[in-house]
Amino acid sequence: MDFEGIVIGGGHAGIEAALALSRLDFSCLLITQNLDCIGKMSCNPAIGGLAKGNVVREIDALGGQMAKLIDQSLIQFRILNRSKGPAVQAPRAQADKALYSQLAKWTLEREGGLSLFQDTVVDLLLTNSGREVCGVITERGRRFTAPNVVLTTGTFMEADIFIGEFTASSGRLGEPAAVGLGSALRKLGFEVGRLKTGTPARALASSLHPERMREQPGEDEIIPFSFANTKVQRPRVSCYITHTNEKTHRIIRDNIHRSPLYGGKIQGVGPRYCPSIEDKVVRFPDKASHQIFVEPEGLNTDEVYLNGISSSLPEEVQEEFLRTVPGLEDLVIMRPGYAVEYDYLDPLQLYPSLESKKIKGLFIAGQTNGTSGYEEAAAQGLLAGINAALKLQGREPLILSRAEAYIGVLIDDLVTLGTREPYRLFTSRAEYRLSLRHDTADLRLLEKGYDVGLQSVEARDGLLQKKREIEEIKELLDKRKVQEMDVEKVTELKIHQGKSLSRALKDPKVRMSDLVSLDKGLAAKNRDWLYQSELDIKYAGYIKRQERQVDRFRRMENMRLPADLEYSRVIGLSTEAVEKLNKVKPLSMGQAGRISGVRSSDIAVLLVHLAKND
Amino acid sequence: MLKPEGLSSILYLMQKKSLYPQDYNPEESIAALATPWGESALAIIRLSGLDSLKLLSGIFSRDGEIVEAAGNTLHYGRITAPDTEELIDEVMIAVYRAPKSYTGEESAEIFCHGNPAVIKRLIGVLADSGFRYALPGEFTLRAFMNGKLDLTRAEAVNELIRARTDRARALALNRLSGAIEGKIREIRDGLAGMLAGIEVWLDYPEEELEGENDLIHEAEGWALEIEKLLSTYSIGKIVQEGLVAAIAGRTNAGKSTLFNRLLKEERAIVSEFHGTTRDYLEGYISIEGIPFKLIDTAGLRDTGDPLEAEGVRRADMIIRNSDLLLYLVDGSLGLAAEDRELISTYHDNRKLIPVWSKSDISTAGTPEGFIALSAVDGTGIAALSKEMVNRTAGNLSSSTEERVIDSLRQKELLERAFSSLEDVKKSLQDEVYLDLIAVDLKESLDALGEITGEVTSVDILNRMFKDFCVGK
Repeated sequence: MDFEGIVIGGGHAGIEAALALSRLDFSCLLITQNLDCIGKMSCNPAIGGLAKGNVVREIDALGGQMAKLIDQSLIQFRILNRSKGPAVQAPRAQADKALYSQLAKWTLEREGGLSLFQDTVVDLLLTNSGREVCGVITERGRRFTAPNVVLTTGTFMEADIFIGEFTASSGRLGEPAAVGLGSALRKLGFEVGRLKTGTPARALASSLHPERMREQPGEDEIIPFSFANTKVQRPRVSCYITHTNEKTHRIIRDNIHRSPLYGGKIQGVGPRYCPSIEDKVVRFPDKASHQIFVEPEGLNTDEVYLNGISSSLPEEVQEEFLRTVPGLEDLVIMRPGYAVEYDYLDPLQLYPSLESKKIKGLFIAGQTNGTSGYEEAAAQGLLAGINAALKLQGREPLILSRAEAYIGVLIDDLVTLGTREPYRLFTSRAEYRLSLRHDTADLRLLEKGYDVGLQSVEARDGLLQKKREIEEIKELLDKRKVQEMDVEKVTELKIHQGKSLSRALKDPKVRMSDLVSLDKGLAAKNRDWLYQSELDIKYAGYIKRQERQVDRFRRMENMRLPADLEYSRVIGLSTEAVEKLNKVKPLSMGQAGRISGVRSSDIAVLLVHLAKND
Repeated sequence: MLKPEGLSSILYLMQKKSLYPQDYNPEESIAALATPWGESALAIIRLSGLDSLKLLSGIFSRDGEIVEAAGNTLHYGRITAPDTEELIDEVMIAVYRAPKSYTGEESAEIFCHGNPAVIKRLIGVLADSGFRYALPGEFTLRAFMNGKLDLTRAEAVNELIRARTDRARALALNRLSGAIEGKIREIRDGLAGMLAGIEVWLDYPEEELEGENDLIHEAEGWALEIEKLLSTYSIGKIVQEGLVAAIAGRTNAGKSTLFNRLLKEERAIVSEFHGTTRDYLEGYISIEGIPFKLIDTAGLRDTGDPLEAEGVRRADMIIRNSDLLLYLVDGSLGLAAEDRELISTYHDNRKLIPVWSKSDISTAGTPEGFIALSAVDGTGIAALSKEMVNRTAGNLSSSTEERVIDSLRQKELLERAFSSLEDVKKSLQDEVYLDLIAVDLKESLDALGEITGEVTSVDILNRMFKDFCVGK
C-alpha cells in the first residue's frame, strides 16, 4: 500500500480528516482538484452561529483545526443571542476568506506524514471481494492504494451550476465538477440523490453606499473559538444591513419563469432554512421586505457578499432587482449568484462511525452526506478521520452521543433518519441543548480528544485544572453566607441575608459580577470559569431535569444491537420496521427507536427478542 | 413460565394502552388497588418502585420502621394526610424487598378497610406523596422487565403482537372520543406553534421576525383549554367508580324495593350515607361488566317541611349529576302531574329510563316507552338491566358531543401538560430566558403527545419553516 489513508477533497471535511489521520501518525494522501482551493468558503464568509459555533468549539476540544483557523483569520466577532439564554448563545465570526484558505493549506503542508496532490478521483479501487476499499483511480489514470479512503467531495460530484438560462458542469462558479465518481459509486450500488443549494451575488464594495445602510459592527472583545487560545488580536470590520422592497419583489415575480428552480430545470431539493430570494418572495408574498447583510469577504479585497439574497435568476435580472435596494443603487456585480445541483450519498448507508456499510474502509463525510455548512462538514471530516485512524489501530470507533455534543446530534440524525434536503444543525434539534453550551465543549469532549491522541497532556492538565477551579468556586459560594455588610454593597441581596451565596445566585436579579466584589477569593478566580459556575448554579433546576431525561435516554442508548442482526428473523416486527432496521442497522436500541417508521411496538418486540437471546 | 394472566396483561398494555417495555422506569413509583372497588371487609393497595418504601414512610405513623424493615414483614400503624395531619385509616403494611417481590422492585401492600371513601382518600394521599396510579397490568410489566417472568413463551407474545400492533396505537387512540381527541390535537398544535415561534427566534437571532407573539396570552389561553378538559374528568370517571344511576320518583313509587331488588340480582355492595337531613343509600353493582353506582334518592314531592325540602333538593342535585336516571312511576296510581313535569324535564336526555313500577298490581296498561316492572316477582328486571347497558353504550360512544376525559392516564397527562404550561406562564412573567421556557413548553407538549402521538423536533422544524420566512 502507498498510504494508510487517502482523503478525497480539500474542503472543510477533507482538511480535518487528513489532519486527524496524519496527527495520529498514519501516512496520508489528500487529493484535490485544485490545491489553491483548499479550505475555500464557497458561500458566506463566516464561521459559527447558532449550534454551528458550538460545533466549532467541539471540533477544537476533540483536537480538530477549524477553531484555530478562524481565530487567525477572523475580521469580526460577535456572540449571538446574548439576551435569549445561555444555552442558545453562540459565537460567530466573519472571516477573511483568502486568509482562511491560505492558512488551511499552509497547515496541511506543514503536517509531517501528509502528502498533498492535485488530481481528480474518478473511481475507487476495491479488493477482490469487492467489499473492501484499497485505493483510488484518478482522472489522469494514476492509482494510489490505501486501506482507508475518506470521501469528502462536497458539492462537486456530478455538479451543475445554474444562472437563469445558463448551465455549466461546475461545483463552484469557474471550477469544473468532479465527473465520473458519482457514476462509479452508483455502479457500486450506492444510493445517490440530488440536492440543490445556492449562493448570492458578490459585489464591489466601492460601488455601494454604506451611508444608506445600517452599520453592524462587531464586538470589542473576542472570545477565542479555540480553547488553546487565551487571546485573539485581529483587525475588525463592519457589516451593513439593508432591505429589499416591493419594487425588488415585483422584478423577481415578473421574471420568476426564468428561474431554473421554478422553470423545472433543477430537480434537487433545496434547503428550506436558507431559501433563495425567489423562494422567499413566492412562499411569503405578504412579507414586504427581506433583510440583506452586506459582508466583507476579506481585508485584501473589495469584494462583498450579499447574504440573504441567494438567487439563480439571470444575471441582468439579479442586477436589476439588487439595484432597487437602498445602498445598492449603483452596485457592480463581480460574480453573479447561482444555484448548484449535486450528487449526495444517502447517509443511511453509513454506520455512526461514518464508515460505509457496503464497503469496508470507505468513510464518507461532509456535504457528500447531504449536509450543508462548513462547520457540519468539518465535524464529520474530523470524526471520519479519527475513526479511520482508530480502525487502523484496531480500536473501537469514537461515537458521540446526542446528550454530549452537537456533533453527536448531527451524525446520529444523518445515519438514523437520513436526509432529503440539505441538512443543517439547529439548537432545536438537540434534545439536551442546555448541556451543550459552547463554553463547556472542552469539559464535555477534551478528554475524548486526549484518549484518541489528538490532545496533548498539557491540554488535558489544563482541563483538569479548570474543572478543579470551577469546583472550588462552587464550594466557596456554598460556604460563604450573605452578611449584613454585603447587603450594603449589593441591595439585591437583602432578601437572601443569612443564606449562602449560591442560594442567592439562583435569584435572577443576583449576578456573579455582583458577588465577586464581596469576596477576595472569588475575585481572584478566572472570569470565564466564574461565568460557567454562575450558569451551572442559576440553571441547576432545569439542568437537573434534563439530566433525568438524559439518564432515561442513556438506558436505551446503552442497550447494544449487533450490526449484523437480520431483522427479518425477528418474529413480530412490522414489515416496515424490518425494512428500515435492515437498512439503518442501528447499533443501539435508542438509535433503533429514532428511526422513522419503527414504532414503540417494534422496540417492544426487539427488547423481548434480545432478552430471550441473552 | 409466563402465566396466562401475565401474558394477557403485557399484551393488554402493549395494545390498548400503548405502554411498552421501554416505558418502564423503576424510578416511578406506582400504586393500585388490588382488590375489587367497593365495600368489603378489607382492601389491598399495592405499591412498587425504587422509592416506594421511602415515599410510603412519609405518610405512615411509624415512618422509620418501614424504611429499615426486612422483606416479608408486617407493620401496623396509621396513615395520615401529610399536609392536614388528618387520619385516613389504620392499616397493616406488608414490606417486600427487591428483588424478592412480585415485581422484583422495592414493594409494599397496604391492607386497609374496604370502604370506598377510605380507599379513595388513601389513593389520593399516595398520589400527593409521589405515587402514580398504575395502569392495568403495569405490575406484571415490571415483573416481566425484572426477569421475574420466564420468557419461554415470548414467541407467542410476538405472534400475537404481530397480528395487532399496527392497529394497536389506533385502538388506543380510539379510546378517546372524536371530540376530545380533536380538542387535544388542537391544543397540542397550538403549543407546537408557540414552540416553533420560540425556536425560530432562538435559532435565527438576526431575523426581523414579524408580529412577536404575545406568548403569555397564548399560554394562558391554552392552559384554560386544558383546565376545561380536566374539569370534565369528575363526570367521566366511569371506569373508576362506575356510572351513577339515580333511582328517583315520588314517595312510595317503589324506589327502595327496586334498589334492593337490583342489588340482590346483581353482585352488589351497599353502604349507607348519613346526610344531615335525610339518609340516602348508595350501592355498587356490575351489569355485563359495567360498573354502576346506584343511588336511592329521597322521594320527590313539594313539602312544607324544611328538613324534607332539603332532602328533595339534594335528590334533585343527585339526579342532575347522575349518568342514568331510573324514574319510577307508581303503576297502581298512574301518571301524576309532577311525574309528567319531571319526565318532560329530562325527556330529551338519553339518561332518562321511565319505569312503570308495581306492574303486578297496575290496572292501567304500561304507557309507551316505559319498562313495566314488578320488583316483587322480578318481572322487568332483566329488561331494565339491558336498557341500562344500552344507554351506557350510548354514553360511552364517540357520538356524544360532550368532551369527557374518562381515563386516569389521560387525566394525569393533561395535568402534567397543565402544570408545565403554568410554569411557562410564570417564567414568561418573570422574564426568564427563552431557552429555559422552551424546556417547560416542550414538556407540556410531550405530555399531550403521549395522548395523541409524539411531536418530534422535526415536526417543530417543519412548523418553523412553514410559518416563518427565515434564512440568509
